[in-house]
Amino acid sequence: MQFELINVEKVYQASEENKVYGARNVNLRIPEGEFMALVGPSGSGKTTVLNLIAGLILPTGGVLKHGGSDITSLSLEERTQHRLDYMGFIFQDYQLLPILTAEENIELPLQLKGIEKNEIKERVNWALKQVGLENMGRRFPKQLSGGQQQRVSIARAIAGKPQLILADEPTANLDSKTAQEIIELFLKLNKDFNLTFIFSTHDQRLIDQVRTVLYIKDGQITETRTHNV
Amino acid sequence: MMRSLAFLIKFAYRNLWRSPKRTFIMLLSLSLGTGFIIWDMNFANSGSREVMKEFLAQYAGHYHITHNNYYNPGNKKEFNNYKTLTDDQITDKSLLKLSTRRVTAPVFVSGEKKTLGVLLTGLETEKEMRLTTLPKVVTVGRFLEPSAEREIVLGKRLANRINAKIGDEVAVIGQALDGSVANDLMKVVGLLDFGGGDLEESLAFTQIKSARELMAMSDEQYHQRVTFDIDQEVLPKLPGLTVTSWTELLPEISVSIRFIDNFTWVVTFIIVLVISLGLSNTLMITFFERDQEFQSLNIIGAQTSWVTKALMLEVFMMGTVAIAAGCLLGHLSTTYFYHFPINIQLFTGGKPIIMGGMVIQPLVRIYPVMEYYWKVPLLIYFFLASTMIYPLIRVIRRSKNAI
Repeated sequence: MQFELINVEKVYQASEENKVYGARNVNLRIPEGEFMALVGPSGSGKTTVLNLIAGLILPTGGVLKHGGSDITSLSLEERTQHRLDYMGFIFQDYQLLPILTAEENIELPLQLKGIEKNEIKERVNWALKQVGLENMGRRFPKQLSGGQQQRVSIARAIAGKPQLILADEPTANLDSKTAQEIIELFLKLNKDFNLTFIFSTHDQRLIDQVRTVLYIKDGQITETRTHNV
Repeated sequence: MMRSLAFLIKFAYRNLWRSPKRTFIMLLSLSLGTGFIIWDMNFANSGSREVMKEFLAQYAGHYHITHNNYYNPGNKKEFNNYKTLTDDQITDKSLLKLSTRRVTAPVFVSGEKKTLGVLLTGLETEKEMRLTTLPKVVTVGRFLEPSAEREIVLGKRLANRINAKIGDEVAVIGQALDGSVANDLMKVVGLLDFGGGDLEESLAFTQIKSARELMAMSDEQYHQRVTFDIDQEVLPKLPGLTVTSWTELLPEISVSIRFIDNFTWVVTFIIVLVISLGLSNTLMITFFERDQEFQSLNIIGAQTSWVTKALMLEVFMMGTVAIAAGCLLGHLSTTYFYHFPINIQLFTGGKPIIMGGMVIQPLVRIYPVMEYYWKVPLLIYFFLASTMIYPLIRVIRRSKNAI
């Protein structure tokens, strides 16, 4: 099921005269297996577009669809459930819960989904294996390096077998070697499991390896480039 | 359901130890507060109880069994000493062993100097010595000899006013049961010291046999059967007779005790409120420090209700541990002061307490009162739940507006 943004607009209105466009006339179709980057300077609207796709904010105009259904008409609770059911998230600063081990962090969204105990165990092990941290499940985030934490964050995002993974500046906090490893991991997951990725980034190394690059300025998609990767 | 609850409990438990020092301080303040409140409630209750026990054991007694028309229905201070009863009328024979008979009548006592009106009480001397502490109050001379007759014990002030000394004979004049003038000579054998209270001037005691003879009563007749078991809350039902408890006979004292009990609850409310306000502030800080974390949880699919449940569980777990520790602490300190009673004069600067005209000098043995072990925790849970309301509303609002 593909995600679709049709004429989406998001206006932040401080006053009648002072309107700021977070997104403007955004039309976007995200087919399954897509590997897409949103690129633009700070404040261009990349995060706003990601938040709109996730249903974290509602557009002031236009329609957001998933599998043909309008997401914008859902309640706050329904949108949260929709994220849980269909999406995985990767954050710039990992956002792992410091009180939970790597395994438990991965387990959290699965618990929220109400998945059976044995299946949770299988999925956690599978996710840890995919990110190369099979033996580090019992460690707490503070016992892991930045790159390892981001891997746990990726494992948490993929464990729920989502249709779409949204990542906000996933390599921004990592050194170049670790960033490259993370990019390679994204590509592997995209290739092996046909996982759909959309992420915002400034990282040229990442941009060079992405199939579809959307350039955003002042909330508008100004250019779309497609690479053969 | 159970599985996700187990995860929620683990999540809440781990959150508690996110900042161990802060959690420890919160646990300590809550458990010390709970422990102190339980001890204080037990102390206040036992203090009242011991004071009353001491006071009632001196003379007044727990309840009086009398003729139906002995006490004036509107005023228990007034009595009709022509209304007597006999043991045949007491259907519950077990009461006979636990109580003492008394003959009570207003009389004039005439000494060398003066004649004054007093309340003369005829006592079953042997039983009184066993059931009451009245003999201990006789500080000059001795208490009534069980086998003797026509002995009288006077209050110290009364003896001074009529100028009667140990060994003197005083004239006792009253009205007998048949309406005739009753008079007799009685020998002063002891003086009662009630700490200078009013009772010292208005009470006199003699053997019940002598009082009966004075009042022209038969050997079976008496006015009151008095019991001293303060722990007995349910008064016996005796058809054709009246059972009056000390709370009715001494309403001013009973009201004071009730005031102290209720005031203790008011103080408890205030203490719990102050602790709660402090906790509320700490909880607010604790919750808001995790603001970004709540947002991330929401982004990955946790409903606001799940987050609030986790927070409530966290506070509930901490509260339960603290309250349990507090109950234990309160109970241990109560038990300690049960074995090592507190002298109540510590709180009066060494001065004796005078109650109803009598001196009370009890050692307060603190008893655990079971109802406090559930009422106090309930009260604290209530306030704990109340302290969470505002921080939780802020968390819910932020989770809706933050993204």
